[in-house]
Amino acid sequence: MLMTIRQLRVKYGNQMALDIEKPVTFEKGERIGVIGSNGAGKSTLVKALLGLVRYEGNVVTQLKPEQMAVHMQFNEYVTSMPVRYIMEAILDTKIKRNRELQELISFFDFEPCLPKRFNALSGGQKQKFTIIMVMFQKAELTFFDEVTSGLDFETRQKLVEKLARWYRDKGDTLVMISHYYEELEQLADKILILDKGKVVAYGQKEQLFKEYCGNVVFIMENNDKNRELSKGFPVLRSPEHLLALACDSRGQERRAMSVLAENNVNFKRSNSDIEIMFMNARERFYSQMGENRV
Amino acid sequence: MKKCSLRMVLYELRNINGNFMPHFFGIIFPNLMCVLLSKTVGSQVPDQMRQEVVTSIMLTMTLVIPMAIMLIGYGALYAQEVERGIPLRMRLFGVGEKYEVTAKIAAHLVFLTIAFAIYAVFQVLFMDIQRPAASSLLCLAVSLYLIGIIFLIIAHALANIFRKFSLTFGVTMFLYFGMMILTGMMGMRTDQLPEFLQKVAAALPMTYVSNDFIGFWQGGKYNFMPFIQSFIFMGAAAGILLMCSFHFQQRSQTRGKDSIFA
Repeated sequence: MLMTIRQLRVKYGNQMALDIEKPVTFEKGERIGVIGSNGAGKSTLVKALLGLVRYEGNVVTQLKPEQMAVHMQFNEYVTSMPVRYIMEAILDTKIKRNRELQELISFFDFEPCLPKRFNALSGGQKQKFTIIMVMFQKAELTFFDEVTSGLDFETRQKLVEKLARWYRDKGDTLVMISHYYEELEQLADKILILDKGKVVAYGQKEQLFKEYCGNVVFIMENNDKNRELSKGFPVLRSPEHLLALACDSRGQERRAMSVLAENNVNFKRSNSDIEIMFMNARERFYSQMGENRV
Repeated sequence: MKKCSLRMVLYELRNINGNFMPHFFGIIFPNLMCVLLSKTVGSQVPDQMRQEVVTSIMLTMTLVIPMAIMLIGYGALYAQEVERGIPLRMRLFGVGEKYEVTAKIAAHLVFLTIAFAIYAVFQVLFMDIQRPAASSLLCLAVSLYLIGIIFLIIAHALANIFRKFSLTFGVTMFLYFGMMILTGMMGMRTDQLPEFLQKVAAALPMTYVSNDFIGFWQGGKYNFMPFIQSFIFMGAAAGILLMCSFHFQQRSQTRGKDSIFA
């Protein structure tokens, strides 16, 4: 066990920003994706775990603060010198003499940025700058809080690809917070779903998908024709423009596929769609609580 | 947490160097003022008095250096960083506050020394000043460094309290000009001030450097007691301000009382 969170509560004034009742444990080597809408308590959770906000409850860990690294949502540095000197000062090393750091810099194609000042870097370069330094720390537990926020689609994709590639065969424990479901599909093994400060669900990605969506889902455009075809199949909650059919068995899956193919419907088959899983987990959570608020 | 290193001091020196304020207010301004005042005031006094007057101007303008670099320069620099959350970002990288502040102090002292050296060279080369007694020169140097450190403490505390560049800069500028007026650096003699302000001026070490140091610059006796008392007073005031700033800054109780951290 790397860290266990027990009955953690964070209040901002009268507003309960985070209220984790059941224990949440992070094990060594896990890749945990944290998802939730704005105000779900994702960043508050990271701040509490890092000791940056007042909280009630407890966090049990043997980690020292320096064994945790974090890429915050907003990272600022001085603009009075090229970023190379900032990097060398923070990491207390010389880039020229540190092969490991050189490797990281070149992995992120950051060499041309080294002579620039922080305010002259683009959004993606700024994120890379912090990511390189966070990765170089090789902490036992690393948090990435909305690492791609504010970036365009292409830069976002490239950055996530790089992160996924870098960590592929490494045993680091990562906690990744993101609004983008597809990022967590690439980076996370476990998912922690937060909503209005509460834990909606926490577990292995596949396990949660099975629990809330079944074996597999077919996602298609939400139109009259597809709604008609979907009769006879369990329909899951999905974004308004989409229709998601749940299949619990191979037979049901084959039947759905043949119906969709015969009717020339474009569809996506998925057994790991985090967005559909998130929406259905949230719906079940509130229906169990007796609330209808999704 | 990391420990203070030479690399971090160099980083802070680059940080100071990247800002215009310490260069202008701490190096260009005192040298420029020294020349201008020496030319204008010096031309109005008899020849036999001129060297003493120029020396007195030089002594007064020396005070601008620690005030500008440590009060205005450091205050502006640190307040900008606090406002943008840079110290927090550094702490998350394991660069502790003590470590960072130690590096900042060291870098500012180095910059202060450079500014003093430039000023001294300028005085020797271009100004007709009296040759000092070694003990007086040493006394001036120690006083200037002490004044600088006290101002740095004040600037650090103000930046921590206001956490905004605009407010910190406004207050440090007010203190800077206020103290210059009170201590006779703006041409107004301290004994011309209202009685209450004279008492305030007496509590500031700069008043003694500006008004009295010329009296023993080439040797002689001087009663240092009021000067030392002013240091104790100003140091204590800076210390109290720093404590207050810690109170303001004090990070909320961050961990639950039953949390078990290594």
